[in-house]
Amino acid sequence: MSQLQVKDLQVQFGGLRAVDGMNFDVEKGEIMCLLGPNGAGKSTTLDLICGKTQPTGGSILFQGTEISRMLEFKRARLGIGRKFQVPSVYKDLTVVENLSVARSARPSVLHSLTSRAVRRSARVKEILDIVGLVNKQDEAAGNLSHGETQWLEIAMLIAQDSRLILMDEPTAGMTIQETDRTAKIFRKLSANHTLIVVEHDMSFVRTVADRIIVMNQGKKLAEGSIQEIEANEAVKTAYLGH
Amino acid sequence: MNSRISYDVIGFALFAGVILFGVPAILGYDAFELSTFSRYLSLAIVSMALALSWGTAGLLNLGQAATFGMGSYAMAMHLKLKASGESLPDFMGWNNVDTLPWLWVPFQSLTFTLLAGFLIPAGVGGLIAVFMFRARIAGVFVAIITLAFLVAFQLLVINQQGFTGGQNGLTGLAPLEIFGWVVDIYSVSFYYLVSACLLVALTLGLYLTHSKFGLVLRAIREDPERTRYFGYNVASYETLIFCISAALAGWAGMLYALVLEFASPTYMSVSFSLAIVIWCAVGGRESVLAAAIGAILVNLAEGRLSDVFVEGWHLILGVMFLLVVMFMPRGIYGLIVDAGRALKRQGSRAETVEYNPPDALLSQNRES
Ligand SMILES: Nc1ncnc2c1ncn2[C@@H]1O[C@H](COP(=O)(O)OP(=O)(O)OP(=O)(O)O)[C@@H](O)[C@H]1O
Ligand SMILES: [Mg+2]
Repeated sequence: MSQLQVKDLQVQFGGLRAVDGMNFDVEKGEIMCLLGPNGAGKSTTLDLICGKTQPTGGSILFQGTEISRMLEFKRARLGIGRKFQVPSVYKDLTVVENLSVARSARPSVLHSLTSRAVRRSARVKEILDIVGLVNKQDEAAGNLSHGETQWLEIAMLIAQDSRLILMDEPTAGMTIQETDRTAKIFRKLSANHTLIVVEHDMSFVRTVADRIIVMNQGKKLAEGSIQEIEANEAVKTAYLGH
Repeated sequence: MNSRISYDVIGFALFAGVILFGVPAILGYDAFELSTFSRYLSLAIVSMALALSWGTAGLLNLGQAATFGMGSYAMAMHLKLKASGESLPDFMGWNNVDTLPWLWVPFQSLTFTLLAGFLIPAGVGGLIAVFMFRARIAGVFVAIITLAFLVAFQLLVINQQGFTGGQNGLTGLAPLEIFGWVVDIYSVSFYYLVSACLLVALTLGLYLTHSKFGLVLRAIREDPERTRYFGYNVASYETLIFCISAALAGWAGMLYALVLEFASPTYMSVSFSLAIVIWCAVGGRESVLAAAIGAILVNLAEGRLSDVFVEGWHLILGVMFLLVVMFMPRGIYGLIVDAGRALKRQGSRAETVEYNPPDALLSQNRES
């Protein structure tokens, strides 16, 4: 059984069907890239999976459990993590504090009451090392540069250790070198995690994607490997406009 | 050790020293002065309680005076019953109440009273919190709802004259008797009782703010949405800190009724609630210790200045609040933290300067 099964998923905002009958499956350990022109409904699809938006129809099965009506924190506890399109780290907290919030394997009030705010465990050091923020660990996240903020968000997702990670434009604003490093991290992550990645950078998609789904106007336009997608006429039309 | 923790631990030790030894010595162990200071210390508890919900979690509770009032009435009801002995409290007779209302009966027990003084506020606070936070109400709406509750609750207390003493409140109280000790509020031991309560409350507050619980609350303050996607049940975090804050406010109210020897609906007024916000803001809402100090300083100033400016005190308080909000939004605490950081930066610069001279000296030597 696929880890994630999306069936006839639909959401309507007023008169607009932002997602209109999406069907797809994602296998465990796969990196699935979601492409499409602006406004195609990519972010909204991720919102529906993580619980930010309630669907007006269809179903979402995660590891066989129907989650489409569940509260967001319960979905997170089941193992779904999310990176949003706009960077959202806690600016008032330091880098390690951000990581500590993200390390939420035991999110209950009772457990928090009996744990220290920050534990600099070996794993935390390792994660800081992966994203190159060791020297900034006690810096307030608000003082980080744009690139560093992106890294911190990725670090937070690694720390959260979700089975399924939803990434919305993780390399936006990164340099070519940073994008390459992100690609390597993603390949490594896919050993233990499933990833759905929304991305516009085609060279990045080429390096990481196991499979690609192209969306347009809320619908699935095409699905397949990078070669299949690049040869697809409908995709060319959608991107070029005609 | 994290710098936030070390600031607070050092601050707490200094504060405890000043409260336990400094203040009594400065006031010359004068019983009357110490009792006035006990009043400030009990108000410091309600201010630090607000810092927990407002400073840590960003929930501005303008109904803090209501839970404070509940604590003070719990204590006053017990003492009123003791003062009345076998007969009914005097004001009930004036209002044609001829049997002791069921609500009053359990307050004959001291144990019940001491528990009720913080469990009732915690329960009421918790109930409001559950409704608010499950509906994901946040920001200014929390302030509006809690303010509305405060106004309604004060009206209820004033209107139910036969049960509450109405506008006059509960006066003519007996002294508290605990383990055979008759508490004399004009005594050094009473001052130490209130100090101990404040220090215990601060210890609890510091523990909470430095636990992961406190960290998650700070995350919620900044972005409750994001925090949900890490699996935290934001509503339950908010509800618990609201309860704890209400319980501490009730605790402060009990001490306050003891110090003033009466309970009055003015303890539940809007202006009193706003005053708590001002103390907390002046000290610095991010730190429970700073909020407690803010309450002591503002009340000390009020004690000294309101004799001089009888009419103008509230104006002075208002202006003080405006100045704090505009020029030091993080209160005195913020100023100290910034100053500390600037010193540290200077220190590290000084180190590099100290490191260089040998080289310079060497080259000079060579030249000469
Ligand atoms: N909460 C909302 N209310 C109303 N309309 C919305 C809402 N969220 C998204 N939309 C609309 O739904 C459509 C799909 O938006 P979405 O953000 O999913 O696009 P996207 O594929 O992520 O685009 P981009 O590449 O620009 O990020 C857009 O037309 C958008 O304006
Ligand atoms: Mg988008």
